Amino acid sequence: MSRRNALKTLVSSAVLLAAGSTPFAVSYLLNPKQKIDPKKHLRPPGAIKDDHAFVAACIGCGLCGEVCPPKCIKFHQREGAGQVNTPYINPEEKGCILCNKCMEVCPTESLTVVERKNIDMGIAQIDRTACYPWVDRGICGACVAACPLGERAIKFKHWHQYQPVVQKACVGCGLCVEVCPHPSLPIRVVERASGSITRHTVS
Amino acid sequence: MNKPTHKSKPFFLWKHLNKLRWISLSVIFAMLILIPFLHVYQTYVAAHGYDLLAPSEKRVYDVMESLTEPFVADPEKQLDGLKGNTWSGTFGSLQMSDPLAVLGQTAGSLKFYWPFILTALIPFILTALFGRFYCGWICPATFLYELNSNLGMLLRKSGLKIGNKHFDKRLKYIVLAIGLVIAMISGSVVFASMYPPAVVGREIYYAIALGGFGTGAVYFLLTMLFELLVARRGFCRYLCPGGALYSLIGHFRIFRIKRIVEECTDCAKCNVVCEFGLDPLRDKFGQECNNCTACIAVCPTDAMTFYISPKDIGAQGPGHLGPKYRRQHRSEYQNDQHGGDI
Repeated sequence: MSRRNALKTLVSSAVLLAAGSTPFAVSYLLNPKQKIDPKKHLRPPGAIKDDHAFVAACIGCGLCGEVCPPKCIKFHQREGAGQVNTPYINPEEKGCILCNKCMEVCPTESLTVVERKNIDMGIAQIDRTACYPWVDRGICGACVAACPLGERAIKFKHWHQYQPVVQKACVGCGLCVEVCPHPSLPIRVVERASGSITRHTVS
Repeated sequence: MNKPTHKSKPFFLWKHLNKLRWISLSVIFAMLILIPFLHVYQTYVAAHGYDLLAPSEKRVYDVMESLTEPFVADPEKQLDGLKGNTWSGTFGSLQMSDPLAVLGQTAGSLKFYWPFILTALIPFILTALFGRFYCGWICPATFLYELNSNLGMLLRKSGLKIGNKHFDKRLKYIVLAIGLVIAMISGSVVFASMYPPAVVGREIYYAIALGGFGTGAVYFLLTMLFELLVARRGFCRYLCPGGALYSLIGHFRIFRIKRIVEECTDCAKCNVVCEFGLDPLRDKFGQECNNCTACIAVCPTDAMTFYISPKDIGAQGPGHLGPKYRRQHRSEYQNDQHGGDI
């Protein structure tokens, strides 16, 4: 008889647990995990560098997107069950203009106020085998013209040639990626640590 | 039979609080729709390109400009003071967040970040005073769920068999505990994607400003179907982790609703309108009551009122104007009419 009672409590607690986790399971199943391309999903400026810490701190309120003047901050909706509703910036569609509004409005520590020159979203990287001026296919300079930080972040190799070179002060806002006219986008924003993997120099 | 006179007649405005509650719910829902449009308008202003806008975008610009022109001179900067949703938002320089967001974020990151925790201070104090008032007065999901349950009533009247199952109300505390455990293990704020008010606020913003609903809209529709087909207000009653947290915070709330037993006729209308499936007729309010005042508004004899106390008054027996009380006290009733204790 006692065994039957124990079994009963076991079964009922299992049913309770299953019923209690149903909403979490449904919201998890609606957001299947997908591979995230780090070049297309930059975190907004001022974000914690460790992405696990960022996801743990972000409550998904959408305030950073609601203050963004160029509407560059978008939200993971189907990519990644744990990362769902966390913000990202896709520089291919829209780059960040470094207005610092998002980090000021964020209630959590996921975006904290940092100085403009200390923002670290990544660093731009130029593929010199594709960029028009670097392969002698004409003059361009769109990335240099678009850069909000000016010569400290990206400049021409020589003043009369139009070959862009990324400098150390680049914060990875992605405006150069947005304006790049080349269809394969030879300029990309990558992580600062992995900035020298492919052929490019950070002088 | 003449009615005995009583000192404790409820304040006449309590009867109209339910209308005020609907106004509050509608205003907050309208704000959730307006704020994304204001953001869109701000982006148009920031772009300085009115002539390049499409005709529909121009219409949004014109309407928002006429709405905000009397209040702000510089919409690009000044409208930043009004942002967010009920999950977390800024109002002027005041930032407020849902206590569940704070709890879930603290559990997820396993860190105390005081600037964020303090944003939940005002909601916490209000909840400690008024109990689960957020569920009845502010929550944008409640607005849709109540309309949904009214629709269910209509369908039931027209003869459709719609489920009205009852489960154990303590299930939502288990949901809260499970959510905290998942948040700690997985290191993400899992409540954000399953807590209906957060989902509603976010999805409205996605739909208006970012061009389309996300998966949260599907999730919210599923909860609506659950409420319509399985249990009336099922999510709020049995599953909502925010409701569980508010119930726990508001356990010793000061503002409560009580039944004036001398006026009660045992008509049980209060039990029917109670969205949270409580039992006002038998004085069972407890921590689950959200002070929505629907029972005060519906009572035909004004037998429901507010009172200030950290505890419920407990069972008072059948109402003195009802048939059951009359049967019990037939002899007394014929001699003198003192509506005393039973």
